[in-house]
Amino acid sequence: MNLFEYQAKAAFRECGIVTPKGVLVRSVEELDAACAETGFPCVLKSQVLRGGRGKAGLIKVVKDIDEAKATATALFNSEYNVRMLLVEEAVDIAREIYLSITIDPASATALIMGCAEGGMDIETLARTQPEKIVRVNVDIAEGLGSYHVNNLVYGMGLSGDEAKKIGGMVRSLYKVFRARDAQLAEINPIFITKSGDVVAGDGKLIIDENSVFRQPGYPRTRDYFETDVEFEAAQDGIPYICFGGDIALLCAGSGLTTTVFDLIRDEGGSVSTYVDFGGPNYTRAVRAMELCLKTPCKVILVVTFGTIARADVMANGIVQAMKELNPQVPIVLRIRGTNEDEANKILADAGLTNLVNTEEAVHIAVEKAAGRA
Amino acid sequence: MSVFVNKDSIVEVQGMTGKEGSYWTKLMKDMGTNVAFGVTPGKEGQDVGGIPVYHSVRRGLIEHPADVAMLFVPPRFAKDAVFEALDAGIRKICVTADGIPVQEAIQIRKAALSCGAMVVGGNTTGIISIDEALLGMIPYWIKSVYKKGHIGVMTRSGSLTNEVTANIVSSGYGVTTLLGVGGDPVPGTRFAELLPMYQADDDTHALVIIGELGGSMEEEVAEAIEDKVFTKPVVVFMGGRNAPEGKRMGHAGAIASGGKGTVKGKTEALHRAGALVASRASEVGRMLQELLPREF
Repeated sequence: MNLFEYQAKAAFRECGIVTPKGVLVRSVEELDAACAETGFPCVLKSQVLRGGRGKAGLIKVVKDIDEAKATATALFNSEYNVRMLLVEEAVDIAREIYLSITIDPASATALIMGCAEGGMDIETLARTQPEKIVRVNVDIAEGLGSYHVNNLVYGMGLSGDEAKKIGGMVRSLYKVFRARDAQLAEINPIFITKSGDVVAGDGKLIIDENSVFRQPGYPRTRDYFETDVEFEAAQDGIPYICFGGDIALLCAGSGLTTTVFDLIRDEGGSVSTYVDFGGPNYTRAVRAMELCLKTPCKVILVVTFGTIARADVMANGIVQAMKELNPQVPIVLRIRGTNEDEANKILADAGLTNLVNTEEAVHIAVEKAAGRA
Repeated sequence: MSVFVNKDSIVEVQGMTGKEGSYWTKLMKDMGTNVAFGVTPGKEGQDVGGIPVYHSVRRGLIEHPADVAMLFVPPRFAKDAVFEALDAGIRKICVTADGIPVQEAIQIRKAALSCGAMVVGGNTTGIISIDEALLGMIPYWIKSVYKKGHIGVMTRSGSLTNEVTANIVSSGYGVTTLLGVGGDPVPGTRFAELLPMYQADDDTHALVIIGELGGSMEEEVAEAIEDKVFTKPVVVFMGGRNAPEGKRMGHAGAIASGGKGTVKGKTEALHRAGALVASRASEVGRMLQELLPREF
């Protein structure tokens, strides 16, 4: 679960990391009070989950209340679905540092990465001068030791007071990483101010999806979703993605889905929405198709090969969905797996054809979407 | 012969009295798997289809030998159950739990690495050595998918496995051992770590790997082939060639991966190593036909 910057920074502060003074606003009307807190100049930071906010023009420095209101209005009305702004005091920046903690699957450790040259171009630097990124692996059963911190900060070329302060921030960020079950905790950049203080300029915190159940502070509100349908699907626990193409794809399991997605693109087709009705959702074909049909499409394509998600149950669900929802577009079916003979019979009785081959099913769906079949 | 489990393996099942555990343990036994006992704390003295239940692995081992652990426990108890099996001396463990917290998954893998054990999973459908032994939830009775032969299969995907294996069988080949490493970001055992077992198995004449975008397990296989750790023919199929760029994991993901993770990059690495890469599931069987005579 990817958190907003303001949430990440709140979690950072709880573990002792200093952040700029900031106020969250959800409307232009709240700006007067917010700016009175921060003073001018201040920074308006769009709270969206996408990366590259600076480059997309979603972070703006403003010098007075009129500019703040005009800029906020433009941000709220931008194409990026901005619903909240974090208004922060501007900081006198001397330089910027990169720091992150993530999971290294191969060595089964927490991987801390630091770089004395942080900021927007960190990924370019990682490619051109990879030796400047210092990596330290921590066995989380053993915990973070002083030697880890020393290897990191002195490896980054820091010294004196600065090394000590950044070292403190590493310890704090590690606490956040463990306490929040993070998959990623990242500060890019850490500001070193002209008076020598270290401040978290940005904050990124991703909570591991499998640990969300024990991190109660983050209910999945509408804020996290681009559209109402995405929110609705998430509340139902049904994986849903909208792409805006032609073919509504009801599929089961991520491996099979990415493969079918590849095939559709290879055939020159496009996907309108994808809904996963495998796993715990295999009995919910009606709801899955209903979600699919909330976005215009030209064809519905169903591809499954389930074990526990039995083919006969899924076939029954599709037949019921066709009756209840009566979609006005053609449907192409390839339902296989446990009890597939029974599934064939159920579909045939309902006047539907069940195909055997995925590639054939995709080909037919793409042809139908293009009006050629 | 086969890989990881065979007809001589003796299996203890943790979480055997649960709904999934009891259902699949009976099927494992029906296929011929040698299941010695089950473990559910507080239920010693009960049985599942004639298989006795003990409070703990150590208590079960007093009465019965066992060398493989099958875990049907829920995700939040998986770490504890793995540690219990390791503590009792079991060195081969299969974990189906889908939803293990990632910071526990790395502790599971680290613990296994430190004592030379192999934990397969979490989030795997299981492991099957056809007609010999089954661990987990694999519909061995679907003969169009699960037929005995000489092709080893390793997979990251549950949903794609039936699709690809059905193509292997319809192309005239059978399978030695099909092993799912699981779909979690931190699998307990990685593809490359299993290659020596498939190399040592004389019945396995070629290996099919079902991969996916993300991570670096396929690149590690390419390295192992280049290092001659594995010298039999390899055919790889991966989903996600055309996947739209998903939500990015901050900068750290891109920096840490160092360019690994895309299907394009994986394909190049595997080609350099001499493996065949199928762009469609249906090409897997055709590629095998170029390498080996049909078995049936």
